[in-house]
Amino acid sequence: MAHVLSVLLDQDLLTLNRAMGVIRRRNLRVESLAVGPSGVPGAATLTLVVSADAGLADRLVRQLRKMSGTRRVAAFRSDEGVVRELALLRVHSPAGRHAEVAEVIALFGGSVVEEGEDELLVQVAGSNAFVLSFIRALEPFGIADLVRSGAVALERGGVAAFL
Amino acid sequence: MTDQLTGAQILCRVLQELGVEYLFGYPGGAIMPFYHALPEYPSLRHILVRHEQAAAHAADGYGRATGRAGVCVATSGPGATNLVTGLATAHMDSAPVVAITGQVPRGMIGRDAFQETDIIGITLPITKHSCLVEDVSELADRLREAFAIATEGRPGPVLVDIPKDVQNQKGNWSERPAPEARSATRRVEIINDFASAAALIAAAQRPLLMVGHGVILADAYSEVNALAVKTGMPVITTLLGISAFPEAHELHLGMPGMHGEVHVNRAIQHADLIVGIGLRFDDRVTGNTSGFAPRARIVHLDLDPAEIGKNVPVAVGLVGDAKSLTSRLVDAVAARDCLAWRAEIERYRRDRNEAYRGDLSPESILRAIDDVTGGSATIVSDVGQHQMWVAKLYPYQQPNSHITSGGLGTMGFAVPAAMGVQLARPGTPVWAVSGDGGFQMNMQEIATMVQEKIPVKMAIFNNGYLGMVRQWQQFFHGRRYSATPIWSPDYVRLAEAYGIAGYRVETSRQTEEAIARANADPGPAVVEFMIEQEANVYPMIPPGGSLSEPIEAEPAPAG
Repeated sequence: MAHVLSVLLDQDLLTLNRAMGVIRRRNLRVESLAVGPSGVPGAATLTLVVSADAGLADRLVRQLRKMSGTRRVAAFRSDEGVVRELALLRVHSPAGRHAEVAEVIALFGGSVVEEGEDELLVQVAGSNAFVLSFIRALEPFGIADLVRSGAVALERGGVAAFL
Repeated sequence: MTDQLTGAQILCRVLQELGVEYLFGYPGGAIMPFYHALPEYPSLRHILVRHEQAAAHAADGYGRATGRAGVCVATSGPGATNLVTGLATAHMDSAPVVAITGQVPRGMIGRDAFQETDIIGITLPITKHSCLVEDVSELADRLREAFAIATEGRPGPVLVDIPKDVQNQKGNWSERPAPEARSATRRVEIINDFASAAALIAAAQRPLLMVGHGVILADAYSEVNALAVKTGMPVITTLLGISAFPEAHELHLGMPGMHGEVHVNRAIQHADLIVGIGLRFDDRVTGNTSGFAPRARIVHLDLDPAEIGKNVPVAVGLVGDAKSLTSRLVDAVAARDCLAWRAEIERYRRDRNEAYRGDLSPESILRAIDDVTGGSATIVSDVGQHQMWVAKLYPYQQPNSHITSGGLGTMGFAVPAAMGVQLARPGTPVWAVSGDGGFQMNMQEIATMVQEKIPVKMAIFNNGYLGMVRQWQQFFHGRRYSATPIWSPDYVRLAEAYGIAGYRVETSRQTEEAIARANADPGPAVVEFMIEQEANVYPMIPPGGSLSEPIEAEPAPAG
């Protein structure tokens, strides 16, 4: 079962570098990685989704906790939290198929951020599986470009850990 | 009152404020402002090494001997990269070290400037903490923080990288008490279950106490002694735990693991409880963990919560300082004895003398060093066969009298580390014991000892081979002695070239006199021992093997 590690860190590249070193050294599979500002001034949130059992995830938490620059670490099974990512896509939308494309986007609750002549810039947010299905659904129209943010997560019903 | 000082002067002031006595270093371009300021602060004694690696090892030796951070200084680029092995050694063995490196001026960073390396990047995995000082205004606090982090909790090396222009930058300096240092470890509320640990000890038929470096770091000798005496548990000392418990104590069993005595490893394999204090169940201790202590539940006391359950499954983990944890455990346990169990272990004991062949046996040399120094010596060993002999055969009675590179296994450690130990323990004998391989890795430091008047005694166990590798080749590689025969210079004449005393010992009759003369010499001295070329360290657990399957000594040769 994949585990989510959510780490509140001092917001500087050296601390991020050190944290990544701690993770890399353990040679585990990182499925997703996202870094961004947090709700705490001077701190950033690093979110990792790793293929690891509870024991391995717990060891990683303890290694990260003893690093200077780490403020808080939370770990939970991915089904115990809300895990979401954002995707941006440039998708072909030839003149005759506008309605069809629009229908798919609407079905997934995606939104059109920018409209070109025969291309749309689309965003969608959701779970990893949801975002993947959205991408699959748009593939037949031709995807010209695609970026995904990596997942961020909060534990369901967890105590406030990051504010 | 505040003064305007340069960064270099502030650096010196903070080192004074923190009570630093010695700096082991080597000057160069990017650290020159610091060296320019240094003579204004005569209480900071600088030891000019001959290679920066030696500076890091000497700082490490000083740190292990005193419990205070040892300090090494190097310039940017090659100076800083030469520290790497020393920092990794200190990191693996949890030794407090602060490394100060010069860096190219801020405006040049990232431009591949002359002698620029990203030393912080290079040392990230082998330092407890590191920082680049970006402005003189933060210099004093970064340094105070570095010393606090290096020594607090589980000690380790910290690197402070200071650009040359920050060393020259003027800033305000004010004397002030050290601020609340930033803590490297977030305090997590831990509820230690002493009652469960005590219950396991009470219920065990075959309990063992296994102690490591954490006992030495926490100065927990009397607490560990009290626990052993109150419970009668036999005591095993790991390589870095040697001298944490008196060798001659009736409860002391010896060293476990790859080269542990047969009775020690067999006791582990039959134990139903292991109480481990301040050790990390390293693979050289456990062998193959799946076969390690198959009947035993483990109670693990360690300062670092990340160690609990890292290598072996733990029934009860107690997190904290070995001194206070052990003291509370002593209160919690009921008095008992382990007489039947100790008698059983006695039956596992083997006569080991057959393993140490020849007239000039390692055992006789080590016994002579102990005799001559009246048990007052600190033994600093290098890495290889002699390291195992020094670990197993020397009768350590004084706490923290054995210093070695355990985790990283750094050849070349002994000679420079002994300089730091000697400065930390003036007036007491410090013997650096090396093989002929490791000695040649850092023998240039004899010059440092001469120039700085550091009277380390250097024993070389010369067998003409990289002996431990040769032993592995003998056991596991069909006796193909590839690249292990090693030529040595004439060490007596080498000593002469450095202007120090040198002795060669070829028979056991010469041992005592050579050691006595070297020990009595006011300066450094070298004693070379021509030991049996193909002596092996027995017993040996093959790498990855189980503690139950040792390779034992061949029968003693006839006559």
